[in-house]
Amino acid sequence: MTLDHALIDELLAIRALGGLDDDDAARLERELLAHGDCDECRRLEAEHAEVAGMLAFALDPLPVDEGMADRILAHEQRTKQGPDGAAAAPADELSRRRDARLGRWRAAFGVAAAVALVLAFVLATRPEGGNQVPGTIVTFEGAPGELAMAYTPGERDALVWGTGLPDPGTGKVYELWMFENGKPVRAACLTPTDGAVAAHLDADLSSAELMAVTVESTDCPAAPTTDPVFTAELA
Amino acid sequence: MTLGRTRHEPMGSAEPSGTPDEALLQRVGAGDERAFRELFARYAAVAHALAFRLVRQAQVAEEIVQEAFLAVWRTPERFDPSRGSVRSWLMGTVHHRAVDAVRREQAQRRRADQAAALVPRIADDPTDDVLSALDLPRERRLVQEALAGLPDEQRDVIYRMYFDGMSQSQIAERTGLPLGTVKSRTLLAMRRLRINLGEAAP
Repeated sequence: MTLDHALIDELLAIRALGGLDDDDAARLERELLAHGDCDECRRLEAEHAEVAGMLAFALDPLPVDEGMADRILAHEQRTKQGPDGAAAAPADELSRRRDARLGRWRAAFGVAAAVALVLAFVLATRPEGGNQVPGTIVTFEGAPGELAMAYTPGERDALVWGTGLPDPGTGKVYELWMFENGKPVRAACLTPTDGAVAAHLDADLSSAELMAVTVESTDCPAAPTTDPVFTAELA
Repeated sequence: MTLGRTRHEPMGSAEPSGTPDEALLQRVGAGDERAFRELFARYAAVAHALAFRLVRQAQVAEEIVQEAFLAVWRTPERFDPSRGSVRSWLMGTVHHRAVDAVRREQAQRRRADQAAALVPRIADDPTDDVLSALDLPRERRLVQEALAGLPDEQRDVIYRMYFDGMSQSQIAERTGLPLGTVKSRTLLAMRRLRINLGEAAP
C-alpha cells in the first residue's frame, strides 16, 4: 500500500483507457480504499476520464440507425408496462442480459469511495476478523443506487455492499442469488438502512456465472418470485 | 481548454440547441424525451464509431450504443459531475462495454482483417490532418492533432489500448515490452495528451 498518488495516477490512467488487468484493478481498488475520501484521487480520475473520453472524437462519426432513439424510448415504455401487461419472467430477463454479451464489469471506484466507511465496518466485523479486501470487485447494474461485491475466486468469502438503494417496500427485502448452471441459489437477504447495505457472504462463488438481486418478502424464499432489479456477471 | 464540463458544440444531426450537456441530462432525469434525443444526436454517431472500431461487428456495435443510451435514459443519476463531463461519462460507458465485449469474444479478432476496410479511420499521418483540417469539426481536429503530437511509442500504446481494446499485459506480450514500460508510457501519453488538448484550445 502506498501513501502517495503515483501508483493511483498510473493505474487510473490505464483504467480510463480500458487496459487494466484484473489484478491491477483489484490493486487500484485497495489503494483507493486506503486513501478513503480523497480529493486528489477524484481529480486524477476525472482528468484521465476526460482525456480518454475525448479520444473517441478522433474517429469519423458513424451514423446510427435513425430509429434507435425511438426504440430506446419505446423499449423503456414496454419495460414499464410489461408485454401484454405482464412483467417478463426473471429467467427470461436474465437470459436476455447474458445473451446481450455486454460487459457488466464496471469501474468500482465510485462505489468504493462512497462506501469506504461501510466496507471498513464490514471488514472489521467479518467472522475471521481479517482486514484484507478480496481481490476481485464486480459492480451490479440495474436499479438506481450502487451495489458491488468483492470476492476471491475459489474462496468462500465475499463482501457485498451498496449505497443509494431504493427502499424495497414494507415487509420486503433484497435477496441475493447466485446462478449456477442457470439455476438460482439463495446467497443472502439484505435489508437496506437508509439505502445502504453491507454484508459478509460465506458462499462458494467458484461455479457461479451470474449474480442477481430480487425484491422478496422478509421470509427470504428459496426461489426468486420477482424480476431481478440488479444483475452482475462474474468472470 | 478545459477538458471537463465545457459547453459542447453539437456534432450530430439533430437541431442543435447549444444547451450544455449537464442541463440536458438533468432534463433527461425528469423524463424529457427531447433532451434525450438531443444528447443522442450529439453523441450517438461518435459512440457508434468507437464501439465499431473496437468490436468490428455492426450488430454488436449497435447493441452497445443502444444499451449505453438506454442506461442514460433509465439511470441518468449515475452521472457524477465530480468525476468528469457528461461526454466523458458517455464515451467511457460505451468504451467499457465494447472492451468487455471484445475480451469476451476474442475470436472477433479473426474478423478484424475482413472488416478493416470499414473501420472508422484515424488519421495517422499529420499531413492528412493539415490537408483536411478545414473540413473536420473543431473537436475532432484537436484530438487528432493531440494524438499526432505524441511520440510514436506513446501513441502506439494509446492506439492499442484505447482503439484496439488491448489490455496492458496484452500490449506487453504483443510488443515484447516490459509491463512496467507499457504502464509508464501510458501515463506519460495521457499526461501529454492532456497538455496537447489544452494547448490546442484557443
